[in-house]
Amino acid sequence: MMRRIVMRRIGMRDVAMTSPAALTRSRAWRGPVLMAGVIALAALVPVLIDKQDTLNLLFLICLHITLGQSWNILAGFAGQTSLGHAAFFGIGALVTRTLWLNGMFFPVAFLLSGLAAVAFAMLIGVPTFRLRGAYFAIGTLGIAEVLRITVSQNLPLISTMPAAEIAAYNLTLRYYVALALALTTIGAAALLLRSSWSLGILAVREDEEAAQATGVNVLGHKLLALFISSFFAGLAGGLFAFQQISYYPSAAFSPVWTFDALLITFIGGLGTIGGPVLGAIFFILVRQRLAVTLVEVHQIVFGILFILIVLVFPGGLMGAWDRLRPRAIAEALRSRRQLHKS
Amino acid sequence: MLHIEKVAAAYGDVQALWDVSLDVQVNEIVVLIGPNGAGKTTLMRTIAGLHRPRSGRILFEGTALHTVAAHQIVERGIILVPEGRRLFEGMTVLENLQLGAYTRRAKQQRDKTLRHVLDIFPLLAERRHDRASSLSGGQQQMLAIGRALMGLPRLLMLDEPSLGLAPLIVRHIFEIVKSIKEEGVTVLLVEQNARRALELAHRAYILEQGRIVGTGSGSDLLHNDEVREAYLGYAPVTARTLT
Repeated sequence: MMRRIVMRRIGMRDVAMTSPAALTRSRAWRGPVLMAGVIALAALVPVLIDKQDTLNLLFLICLHITLGQSWNILAGFAGQTSLGHAAFFGIGALVTRTLWLNGMFFPVAFLLSGLAAVAFAMLIGVPTFRLRGAYFAIGTLGIAEVLRITVSQNLPLISTMPAAEIAAYNLTLRYYVALALALTTIGAAALLLRSSWSLGILAVREDEEAAQATGVNVLGHKLLALFISSFFAGLAGGLFAFQQISYYPSAAFSPVWTFDALLITFIGGLGTIGGPVLGAIFFILVRQRLAVTLVEVHQIVFGILFILIVLVFPGGLMGAWDRLRPRAIAEALRSRRQLHKS
Repeated sequence: MLHIEKVAAAYGDVQALWDVSLDVQVNEIVVLIGPNGAGKTTLMRTIAGLHRPRSGRILFEGTALHTVAAHQIVERGIILVPEGRRLFEGMTVLENLQLGAYTRRAKQQRDKTLRHVLDIFPLLAERRHDRASSLSGGQQQMLAIGRALMGLPRLLMLDEPSLGLAPLIVRHIFEIVKSIKEEGVTVLLVEQNARRALELAHRAYILEQGRIVGTGSGSDLLHNDEVREAYLGYAPVTARTLT
């Protein structure tokens, strides 16, 4: 079930078979136009709305789109479950925060957060990806926890921006950085699926040994997915460090980051480009509501929601939409009618 | 072409192959028969680089294979059709075939090879946009062979291609194997269906409990009493007279 949705959503078939002429004839223009509209609207929000709360909420959505999509690239496309995304996020945050507050030009410090996360991810990925099964998942979980504890012991003090920085704090700027990062991450995921590596990456997810037997460099493809995934997770951490006025350095290593990314992807639809986007919007909006009324208990609600989605809608919101939209229902009815005729 | 020298392989403490030596010459069909659990699949997987031998050497045209990664073995033209087919079931027929030509060498000629493979298997052309899991068993086996052909094999290894298929389809598969050989591809075939395989084979090896226990031409083995009794279902003459 999930696989079918994944393949349809990814549109591999269309990529392979649709001729440019057929594209112009079809309604393919609607997607890009809709997308451009949403992006334009998102870019205009700070001009249209002057409420810091709203802007802050949208910032959080963009941050979580990035984190969710990053997790999805690795787990949804390449089939490798990371339980240590908090480590990539945390390293990104630590690197950017430290360098930036020590006077480095922010864009450089920001970029380095992604690269530092990649370097670290390769250290875990190269040995564990040679083994099949749960080694990578367990390895990332263990190392993320070790890092969190190490950071909380060695950097126990809260990290606060200098007074001058706080006085000049500009949320709009941070929102634009977040929006650009989210769009870049979505674009990277889409490009990856259109690249010549996409078949190989999806083959690794489907059947690792069969992929090997058909000539796919399995280790190389896993590392490619990990490279892209950890890069954006690191940047998301860098963004967090740029936005927070003060936080405990260990907070960026909290396992919550890993599980938020996982939840968002599953809620939205694992292995789809749109899934983490929908998932992040849903997740942040609902969390915001629940956190007000239920405080800490809202975590349980998400736990139950997660179980329900896996059981009832394994394709997440994307899959539910596919099954419930009018056209799909019409098609299902038509094929059933034909079945009766024959 | 392929030279296997004293290969031993094991899964943990369980040894599956002992001092296996075997040769395949260019443009031969070599058949490997033996009972279940004899190590036939292990040997195929070891040649394909999916399993590392514990000792011994595997040479392909004089260069070592046993130290090379699986995808590079495919790049050199040694391609395995694995036991149980192992298709990418969530993908379409066409995507499975495209994945077959994933190596650098095969990718350059992908479209040309695709036309050729679809000529051999017209059914796959008809169903190229269907998911592999929706194919029947016989069609899936054809797709598995087609996927392997997409990689431009020089040595094609087939592990139990007739497993679970109806007799008519089995005959068809064997005809295809023969025509593949006639196109200049060398074939190493593992089969339960010993009679049909031996009829096709230039030479055959018998593998029992991880050891090569016999070898000969296909027709020699077909007429060998021990082979007939063990693999072809004939009772020996003495036993028949007693009953």
